[in-house]
Amino acid sequence: MMEHSSLTLRQWAQRFTFYEILVGMKATITVFIQRIVLRSRSAVTLQYPHEKRDLPGSYRGMIALLRYDDDSEKCVGCDLCEAACPSRVITVISAEKEGDPMKRYAKEYYMDMTRCIFCGLCIQACPVDALAMTKEYEWSVYNKRDLRLSKPQLLALGDRNFPQRERKIEFQHPNVAFFNIGHHDLPPMTSKEITSKDQPPVTL
Amino acid sequence: MMDLMVFAGIALIKIVVVLVVVLTTVAFLTLAERKVLSWMQDRMGPMEVGPYGILQPVADGLKLFFKEDIIPAGANWVLFSLAPILSLVPALIGFAVIPYGPNKEVELFGYAFKPFVITDINIGILYILAFASIGAYGIILGGWSSNNKYSLLGGLRAAAQVISYELNIGLAIIGVLILSGSLSMVKISEAQAGGFWHWYVFGGLQIIGFVVYLISAVAETNRLPFDLPEAESELVAGWMTEYSGMRFAFFFMAEYANMVLVSCTAAVLFLGGWQAPYPGTLLPENLAWIEGIFWFIVKVYFFLFMFFWIRATLPRLRYDQLMRFGWKVMLPLALANVVLTAVGVFVWRRLQG
Repeated sequence: MMEHSSLTLRQWAQRFTFYEILVGMKATITVFIQRIVLRSRSAVTLQYPHEKRDLPGSYRGMIALLRYDDDSEKCVGCDLCEAACPSRVITVISAEKEGDPMKRYAKEYYMDMTRCIFCGLCIQACPVDALAMTKEYEWSVYNKRDLRLSKPQLLALGDRNFPQRERKIEFQHPNVAFFNIGHHDLPPMTSKEITSKDQPPVTL
Repeated sequence: MMDLMVFAGIALIKIVVVLVVVLTTVAFLTLAERKVLSWMQDRMGPMEVGPYGILQPVADGLKLFFKEDIIPAGANWVLFSLAPILSLVPALIGFAVIPYGPNKEVELFGYAFKPFVITDINIGILYILAFASIGAYGIILGGWSSNNKYSLLGGLRAAAQVISYELNIGLAIIGVLILSGSLSMVKISEAQAGGFWHWYVFGGLQIIGFVVYLISAVAETNRLPFDLPEAESELVAGWMTEYSGMRFAFFFMAEYANMVLVSCTAAVLFLGGWQAPYPGTLLPENLAWIEGIFWFIVKVYFFLFMFFWIRATLPRLRYDQLMRFGWKVMLPLALANVVLTAVGVFVWRRLQG
């Protein structure tokens, strides 16, 4: 064949002795010896159900409803999460608190987690920080409907994932709705504001 | 009459022992393969069933045994059922002529028999080659009778591949047969006694035949990198696509039994079978058989490890590359080996006088 006539002696010898195959075989046996004989190498496998990864702090897992430290629910039933949700996961049925018509709460609160895309927009939309993302992810179920979580389930999720609760702030006037505004949606600080940050932060 | 019954009884006991050992080996080879592959690929392999996954073959066997046995609509069910048997039986039947240990007679109740070989027929290697060819029918018929295009393609590939490479196996071992002057596996083993420099791969200068035999054996057992009939990424599972349950297990066992068989054959033909790599034996005369069996097992497992090692390293060949390699590289090499060995033996014997 013509292509063979241009081979040098070295190339020809390499082809005849399966040199390239031997190079590959050396690579695999090296790993094998490092693993079995020298013990200088270990598997990258994590034995998942027995061992689990450390999740990053910003992990987006199941969504939970939170409570204040006096066990009252944070949610004020404002429906903003429902409006923010791109995949229509959330259904809020809000109602007035009995005997306190200025205050509302979520009478029923459903999350259809089969549709959730874990984007976190509901958490950003919540004016009272009543929603949070947990690090839970093992939520496979046999019945798809089990993933339509009701308010007690969501509160239970929050209870078991966030044992440290925020203190409830009593507002000045009982008739004024108080929004515990989170600071994550504020525009970035100007240089003037940053220089005035020297004084100690105001603690709630 | 009594003689015949004792003869049959002894033969049956030997057959049962060999079958049990071979089938256990086959079962644990599946685990060994997965473990070795994972160790070469920074993985762990099976770890769940038993400590370090050691009972995985049992779990696999139970699963396959209780799986639903499906015969696809439009399949030729006679051939469909026959194919796994045609695959497995020739793979197991070859072990009848493999000598596992020293060829010495033992006397029991006045009857002499050889404990380490089921039967020493004088055309042993021919017998193995003949049954290996029948094994190809299992694959081809399984592929054809499944009524599935992937299976048919797998079967066709298997037909061409197994026939091409069987030719190379037959030619590669001719050098050994010329040197030993016998087709009996026991005689071939005995001719290589007295240290590793007497083994045919070194002493008989059969290195070309050895390499050709190894490569062709990998191709003949449809193992990677020559697993074109099975080709997961192209043909789903090739000729095994439609098989499930125990029928699939039969094919699976046939593949691994074939691996063990070609490894045994390679050990006998090229590495001296039960012969130790040093002259004589270390253990006393009446315990020498332990040493013989030990060296035989070491050699067989070396070849089996080679199978896994090659599988972990090389990707699958393209079909035309496979055919070109078989007919344009392996076949001329094997023929050259035959000619060189024949001339060499002729000249050597003339010089010896």
